[in-house]
Amino acid sequence: MRSQRPFLVETITAIALILAPFVLPHLGFTPNTINRILVWGLFGLGFDILFGYTGLLSFGQSAFFGTGGMFAAYLLTEAGFGYVMAAVFLGTIVAAIVGYLIGLIALRRTGIYFAMITVAIAEVFFFVEFNPLSAFTGGENGLPGVPRPSIFLGFTTLEFNTDFQVYGFLAFWYFVGLVIALRIVRSPVGAILSAIRDNPQRAAALGHDIHSYKLTAFVVAAAYAGFAGGMLGLMQGFMPPDAFMFETSGQLVMQTAIGGAGTLFGPLVGAAVWLYLSDFFQNTLHLGATWKLVLGIVFVLLVCFLRHGIVGAVIDLYRLVAGRWAETAPGAGVVPPASVPATPPTVAMMPARRRDSDRSSGPILQATGLTKRYGGVVANSDIDFTVNHGELRGIIGPNGAGKSTFFKMLTCEVPPTSGQILFEGKDITGMGVADVCQLGLTKSYQINQLFNRLTVRENLMIAALAETRGKFKLDLFSNPRNSPELTEQVDHAMALVNLASRGDAQVSELAYGEKRRLEIGLALATSPSLLLLDEPLAGMSPAERIETVKLLKSISRGRTMIVIDHDMDALFELAERVTVLQEGRVLVEGTPDEIKGNTKVQEAYLGGVHDVLAAQ
Amino acid sequence: MVNWANFISQCFNGLVLGALLALISSGLTIIYGTLGVLNLAHGAMFMLGGYAGWVAYTYSGSFLVAVAAGSLFVMLVGIVVERLIIRHFYTRPHEDQLLVTFGLSIVFVEAVRFFFGSLSKMVPPPGPLVGITPLGFMMYPTYRLALLGIVAVALLALYFVLYRTRIGMIVRAGIEDSVMVDSLGIDVYKIFMLVFGIGAMAAGFAGIVNAPVVSIAPDVGEAILVQTFVVVVIGGVGSFPGAILGGLIAGQIISITSMFNPGYAYIMLFVAMTLVLVLRPYGLLGAAGRE
Amino acid sequence: MTSDNRKLTNLSRRTLIQGGLSVAGGVILPAGLFPVHAAGQTAIGTWPEGSKGDTVNIGAAVPRTGAYAVQGEDELKGWQLAVEHINTNHELMKKLAPKINNGVNGKKVNLLAADSAAKPNQAVQEQQTFINQNKIILMTGSTSSAVAVALNKFAQREKVLYVAAISGSNDTTGKDCVRYGFRQNFYGETAANAIGPQLVKAYGKNRKAAFMTPDYTYGHTVTKSVNDYLTEKGGWTQVTNQVSPLGTQDFSQYLTNIANSGAEFIINVNWGRDAVLSVQQAKQFGLTPAMKMVIPYQIPFLAKEAGPELMEGVFAATDYWWTLEDKYPLAKMFNEAFVKKFGYRPEWGAENAYVSFAHWARMVTEAGSFYPPDVIKQYEKGETIPSLLGDVRYRPEDHQCIRPVVIVRGKAVKDMKNKEDFWEVLEVLPGEPLMQKPDAFGCKLGDYT
Repeated sequence: MRSQRPFLVETITAIALILAPFVLPHLGFTPNTINRILVWGLFGLGFDILFGYTGLLSFGQSAFFGTGGMFAAYLLTEAGFGYVMAAVFLGTIVAAIVGYLIGLIALRRTGIYFAMITVAIAEVFFFVEFNPLSAFTGGENGLPGVPRPSIFLGFTTLEFNTDFQVYGFLAFWYFVGLVIALRIVRSPVGAILSAIRDNPQRAAALGHDIHSYKLTAFVVAAAYAGFAGGMLGLMQGFMPPDAFMFETSGQLVMQTAIGGAGTLFGPLVGAAVWLYLSDFFQNTLHLGATWKLVLGIVFVLLVCFLRHGIVGAVIDLYRLVAGRWAETAPGAGVVPPASVPATPPTVAMMPARRRDSDRSSGPILQATGLTKRYGGVVANSDIDFTVNHGELRGIIGPNGAGKSTFFKMLTCEVPPTSGQILFEGKDITGMGVADVCQLGLTKSYQINQLFNRLTVRENLMIAALAETRGKFKLDLFSNPRNSPELTEQVDHAMALVNLASRGDAQVSELAYGEKRRLEIGLALATSPSLLLLDEPLAGMSPAERIETVKLLKSISRGRTMIVIDHDMDALFELAERVTVLQEGRVLVEGTPDEIKGNTKVQEAYLGGVHDVLAAQ
Repeated sequence: MVNWANFISQCFNGLVLGALLALISSGLTIIYGTLGVLNLAHGAMFMLGGYAGWVAYTYSGSFLVAVAAGSLFVMLVGIVVERLIIRHFYTRPHEDQLLVTFGLSIVFVEAVRFFFGSLSKMVPPPGPLVGITPLGFMMYPTYRLALLGIVAVALLALYFVLYRTRIGMIVRAGIEDSVMVDSLGIDVYKIFMLVFGIGAMAAGFAGIVNAPVVSIAPDVGEAILVQTFVVVVIGGVGSFPGAILGGLIAGQIISITSMFNPGYAYIMLFVAMTLVLVLRPYGLLGAAGRE
Repeated sequence: MTSDNRKLTNLSRRTLIQGGLSVAGGVILPAGLFPVHAAGQTAIGTWPEGSKGDTVNIGAAVPRTGAYAVQGEDELKGWQLAVEHINTNHELMKKLAPKINNGVNGKKVNLLAADSAAKPNQAVQEQQTFINQNKIILMTGSTSSAVAVALNKFAQREKVLYVAAISGSNDTTGKDCVRYGFRQNFYGETAANAIGPQLVKAYGKNRKAAFMTPDYTYGHTVTKSVNDYLTEKGGWTQVTNQVSPLGTQDFSQYLTNIANSGAEFIINVNWGRDAVLSVQQAKQFGLTPAMKMVIPYQIPFLAKEAGPELMEGVFAATDYWWTLEDKYPLAKMFNEAFVKKFGYRPEWGAENAYVSFAHWARMVTEAGSFYPPDVIKQYEKGETIPSLLGDVRYRPEDHQCIRPVVIVRGKAVKDMKNKEDFWEVLEVLPGEPLMQKPDAFGCKLGDYT
């Protein structure tokens, strides 16, 4: 549905918008209701980018809806400003600026904290609108007398007076809003937003500045809200104070959930259902004050049983039907765009990115005196560790030796309590994980950290984007599919980890071994000059292990790697040198043969295992 | 108009308000801390406590019966809601949990409106607590004084349950590290149900003991919920001591700002929240890593 | 003489369903693009479609959920009773609007109601739906001036008449007045001018008053009106003005400030639930009855919600109180009909709802037309017409009804003759002297068409 036919969604939407005023009235929608649905839909486009695509559930969108609407309405009524659309755009800009400032505060936290903070912020805006600014906002009376929509074209002014004409006006802007929103969600930024929704930590570890991207989504949502607020004022000739109320945010959230988040159309469909039902319950079923109770129950049931909302359910159904059809008629189904037969991993090679600071010899990583304490527990103590360019280093150690903590410090996921890390001669101690990844140091995780709702191809693209675009770039309107370089890089990575035939499979559909390979592929796709692999063989069958060791060998050419694993045989086969950690310290370091022969290691290591076994 | 008598009385008002907020917030925060669910229906449960108590009061005429009925009924509601709905949301995204509890709050409020109408109801304080007590610097409603004690006792009881019982240990362990609790081989679901019940009960109890101060109406919980969020953000999500500290701070901010310009009381509250977020993003007593 | 009656001929056989279909048709061929000309009068608003069938619709956007649901339900009952009386030639309605004949101008009246939750946006939204779907010819509904002002402006834009329900702000017939809007009930200015002299008369000059003001335009306006009178004419001092946000639950901070202010009177301008809670908590803090509570703008059900013990000695101005039935026969008829149908004595929300519909029915039938300018002009004749409290008339300049203001004082519980006997009526003041000059608040009515 997404890629093959360009502008398919746009075309269908345009047709639907043209047909809607002729069809919907027969279903009991009045023109005014349809207009309101469009305003909610516009409001929801931005909100869906924030909630559906980025996973940030804000209960404070009313603040921006109100701000944008009030600003435009103030210009058009009290200030006597004559250009209607200019006023709306100014309102949009003000809402976006306010969104930026609020985002700086609210985005300090995520998840539930974020939801609570946005509720509180919306409440403050309501208070401020209601009194301190009542001279501008009309306080509880709002701003009546907003002019009808019109567009000044320089030579003439288009005016929209009847509901039908206003529909045309709103439908046009909805369409514009939708096209922009589609561009955004299909842009690299949109892809990264989805990655942030699925796994923010990994998105950061791949080198994306997730805070800036979240702020971007927040500002976009605020701008849409502000624009929709302006439209509300124009549509009904009155900018109501209740646009600022928490209930407005709540209704938006509920409508989006009903319609289906992450679909862009969800809020529109949800608004249609909501407005239709509230009208139906009150005026057809005559439920009186009970209407809201019934609607509340309907909502709870929908959330419980229709997880992806109405639009989501339709898409699921479509996929189900399309999937069956494809099964029964092979070849007639959707052909995967990259239907390359499984390529042997040895064929394609993926060089590390050439960076200015790259040198071909000497130490690439130097850690001195690295210590990490958690409260009273010492995880790592005074580790000195050096890896040279092109080396493949193995790290072993019994459980609890502090291997993972050590890796986390090297990739700057956790700051060391003391000590220093030099990467390519540069002090990276205390830097962010995204910055370090941008420098060319990344790792694959012991427990898979994938973007579960994205496909294999999209997963790898997220990683590749970090490499091609840097930490943060606002290319909101570019299309990553138009970049052959990027496509090549993704295909390459996919081939390298032997997933070329699975490009369009969702991560959730992958087998464990495939996920494991993708995990390595993610790290690889950032083209690191130093790749850390945390137990790449964990949980694999013996056959898979052999394959993976082969894979690791092939990717190690032209690249520096550090591998942690428990499979000592595999590690001794792979690594040129091995470091043994025990109780948070370096026990010994040497070639595999030296380590094998070292009695101290054998005793300590095996003893450690015995200790652990005894402790259980 | 700022004089010492006034200042002290405002601090006192803030203390009563803050204690109440602390109690409601601790219910919210232990549910969140243990189950990872932010209960947006918490305000509605506060309201339900008031109504359940009011019904019990109209039949029995006893305030004590009302308090017991209010708390136990809401605890029961909490347990039923957890068992029937929330349980199926543990594996779903946080956002779904917010949506479903938000929906539940509407259902509770409108169900109460359906059965009891919109006219507000008053539960009078018990006989000995009617009237006004002179405190030297001011006259203060006796029941509000008593309320301070009642809430303090409730918080102590909650403290006792959390810090001195096996269940409490598990709950606190869960707040620290939910994975660990799983590995203890305890029937986690049973604990979760109980925790949800206890958290809901804290709201229900607050709802009924507050009813003699603020008469109850279907919407009574909504404003409280927002203030509770601020308290939890200030104190630190999932932290019981944080909820208490946050509640007391919020109470003082509202009261003392009111002394100068009541219109800015809530705005100041949110300014304080913002400050905390900037200076200590995880709240005053919150631990990093909980979202 | 007018168009409506002329084209009744072959329309009477139309059923409501057919009417509904024609509405849908009108939607598809956008009506506003093709003005319908009928006997020289241009189609305007929902006219003439709204009065083509054998039923005319009225839309009420009334809070049924949210903070003002209590007042909303009361209003709704008033309208329901009025519509029933219009359609059945009830004796009382006949007295208020003599030309009704089982309906108005040959058509039955139908009331549609939707929940506004007291929010202006929702109210406008619902009225818009009613206009589109049901071609309503009259709008009503409000429990606060925010909704009244919004619907006023909306009425003017849509050219559909609006009669305000509860709305106390001066703005409704002041700076936000419109040609298409009318208000029957009393408002801030008349309340202030009515209660001020009563206070000075009862308690003398140079007293100290604390004000409790809800933090929005209405509150500030009323506080200013009352305070201006008391300071200028009575030499009273405002010792403190406690401004609380809308929806305040705990008034202890404000009451503490008042307790320390040395006030003798608390003039409480809060509305709705804010008023109930502030009155209850003032008692808890022991401020009343030591300080006298004054409520310039009485809220329906205040006494019932706050409890009669708290009402003893409270001064208030109101639109209507049921015990006036002893003096006003029409009030008695209204109370009886209302109690019979709904089982309790009406408060002023219901009274205002009933009377404003009765007045509308009168204007429509006197004009013999549903054509909005005709109806407006009928109102603007300013003829003296009956209400439940004697004769009243509408000011053509600002569309405010000149009607009495009732001053009441809370009874002691022991003096209550029944459980709804909360207030003792002290005086019924004629409205005219209490009102500002029609242009004093900047009213500009706007166009007829």
